[in-house]
Amino acid sequence: MSTPKPPSSEDLLGQKYDRCLADFLVKAGVGFSAGVVLSVVLFRRRTWPIALSTGFGAGIAYADCDRSFNPARIPGTRIISQLPGTEGK
Amino acid sequence: MYRTLGGRVVPSTARGGVRVIRRRLATETPTTEPLPQKKRHIVRTILLTTTGLVGTFYIGSPFLAFKNEPYHEFFTEQVPLGYSMMQYAEDNNWETMTLDSILTSSQQTFASAQRYVTDTLSGKSGTAEEAKTAVKNTKDAAVKAIQDSKDRATSAAARIKTGIKKETSTATAIVKHQSEQFSRGVQELIREAEAALTNGTGPDSASTPDAPASSSQSPPTDAADRSVYNAPLPVGFELPPGYSRPTPPPKKPEPEPETPPLPRLSPTLDSITASEPIIAHLAGTIDNLTSYLEKNPAANAQAAPVLENAKEDLTALAARIEKVRDDERAELEAKLDEQTREYTVKLMDLEMEAQDRLDGQEQEFRRYFDEERARLTHAYREKLENELHTQTELINERLKEEVIAQGIELQRRWIREIKVRVEEERGGRLAKIDELSANLKRLERVALDNSTYLDENIRIHALWSALRALSSSALSSPVRKPFREELRVLRHVAAAREDPVAVAALESLEGSDVPDVGVEPFADLATWFTAEVAPKVSHVALVPDENAGLLSHLASRAFAGLRFKRQGLVNGDDVLSVLARAEYHLNEKDLDSAARELNQLKGTARLLLHDWLEAARRRLEVQQALEVVQAQATLASLLVV
Repeated sequence: MSTPKPPSSEDLLGQKYDRCLADFLVKAGVGFSAGVVLSVVLFRRRTWPIALSTGFGAGIAYADCDRSFNPARIPGTRIISQLPGTEGK
Repeated sequence: MYRTLGGRVVPSTARGGVRVIRRRLATETPTTEPLPQKKRHIVRTILLTTTGLVGTFYIGSPFLAFKNEPYHEFFTEQVPLGYSMMQYAEDNNWETMTLDSILTSSQQTFASAQRYVTDTLSGKSGTAEEAKTAVKNTKDAAVKAIQDSKDRATSAAARIKTGIKKETSTATAIVKHQSEQFSRGVQELIREAEAALTNGTGPDSASTPDAPASSSQSPPTDAADRSVYNAPLPVGFELPPGYSRPTPPPKKPEPEPETPPLPRLSPTLDSITASEPIIAHLAGTIDNLTSYLEKNPAANAQAAPVLENAKEDLTALAARIEKVRDDERAELEAKLDEQTREYTVKLMDLEMEAQDRLDGQEQEFRRYFDEERARLTHAYREKLENELHTQTELINERLKEEVIAQGIELQRRWIREIKVRVEEERGGRLAKIDELSANLKRLERVALDNSTYLDENIRIHALWSALRALSSSALSSPVRKPFREELRVLRHVAAAREDPVAVAALESLEGSDVPDVGVEPFADLATWFTAEVAPKVSHVALVPDENAGLLSHLASRAFAGLRFKRQGLVNGDDVLSVLARAEYHLNEKDLDSAARELNQLKGTARLLLHDWLEAARRRLEVQQALEVVQAQATLASLLVV
């Protein structure tokens, strides 16, 4: 608000939420679209390919969003609570 | 005794000395005659020979000296008594003397002596005549002596300038010698008389007056006597055969008056005996004879008239002698006086002449002396003037030096005096000036203090003004605006005051970019917190600090709305309590406490509060710096006051 160029620190979460939503919509739409094509082309109009590909898209979007909220969370790793500050920053 | 005494006393007088000289020739010449006759004793021979030789030498030398000039010189200068001998020879004109004249003179003297002797032999009545002749002789002799002495005196006066001393010495020597000889002759006579007396025949009245007369009155008569008595001269010896004959006759008539009429001579002759002791003696002898005759009464009658006669004769003789002596004395004295006057006149003339010559010489000397004196005076005056000139120069120079020295001394003294005066003045008026200057200094100090005080005040005032400007522009302005200009002014003011604390605080502030961007106003910050920051932070209040994923956030957002909003100072460490306390502090306008509360948050909430905390901290920094400066300014103003 007062600082126009860089977003203010209190608006960081809102931005993340916005980006996550946009990403979900894009990825879920891409998955749905891909499922429709596949069902029409390959599976003679069956519905399950459409749900599956939409699920894939939604899932990828969720993973990305979660990683944006907690960038230190990497699969296969576990962060000890001794050093929480460094992860957070 | 009496005779010897009388015989010696008389020739010692000056009168007799001159005459003796003449007699000497008579004594010396006969000595040559007896020389060959006496050869009995060696001593006598030698004595006589030497006497004869010496006499011959001394008498012959003048004759030779008159002929031979070198011998004259030799004789006068080398031979003792030679000069006086020559003198005597010149005086008696020996130059012209010849053998004949000598012979004639000796014959004359011999004849006179013989006549005298015969006169004496002729009797007592002849005494007067004898005395007369004797007087005549003495007169002649005196005249001669006077002549001699005159000649000698003139010659001596002529020679006074050349050698008085020598002359006197030689003269005295001659006189001594001759007086000795004369005394010797007299002694011999006396001895002879004594011998005649003691021979028993008795003294004769004729011979007795002779002896005193000869001894006392006139040496020339003595000389005449002696020419007669010369032969029997050797004392104590027998009389020579040839020449002693004339002497005995006078002795023989002497015993005749020995008649004893018993008169005494000595009382009647009292008046004479006083002056003539020898007569008195003779009288005594006659008295003795008288007494002797008294004892022999046989011859008494015969002797009485003879003795009476002798007495009369003796008294008459004594009176006569006295008279003659007095006359002679008077005459001689008159002559001597005349001579004395004459010589005095001569001496006066000589003296005058010498005086004139001396005067002339003196005048010449005086003139020469005057000239010399004038010359010397001139020379000495010139010298003196030169000396004076140099002395004057020297003195002037010295005086100049002294004047310079005195000038220096005076200057020094003046300076000292001036110093003393100045000291006195300082003690008086200048002391007041000192006081005034001290007062002025004090005033100056006060003024300086005042000025510094004022300066300080002004500076503090400026500081305060700058501080107020800065605070007004930075802190209390309604909008956020840069305040670098104000900060610079404030910093300069603080640097001018040399306040290290303020300068350090301001420098740290100036080093950052805060003055360029300015600080958020407190109202904005509060609004920002309450409107924006606090709700969003409260949405993430439940999100865990770690591994907060999307679901946690969504859940926190979902459940945060459900919680009760807390208000005021509440306890608790959760985010909502902290936010409530911060909101409370902000409401109390305590940004510092609010920032401190919010600074405790962690995790996602801290992330959200980051910007606000930054703005709040900046504002707090500026505020703190300004507070420090303000404290310093307050302190300075307090110190000034």
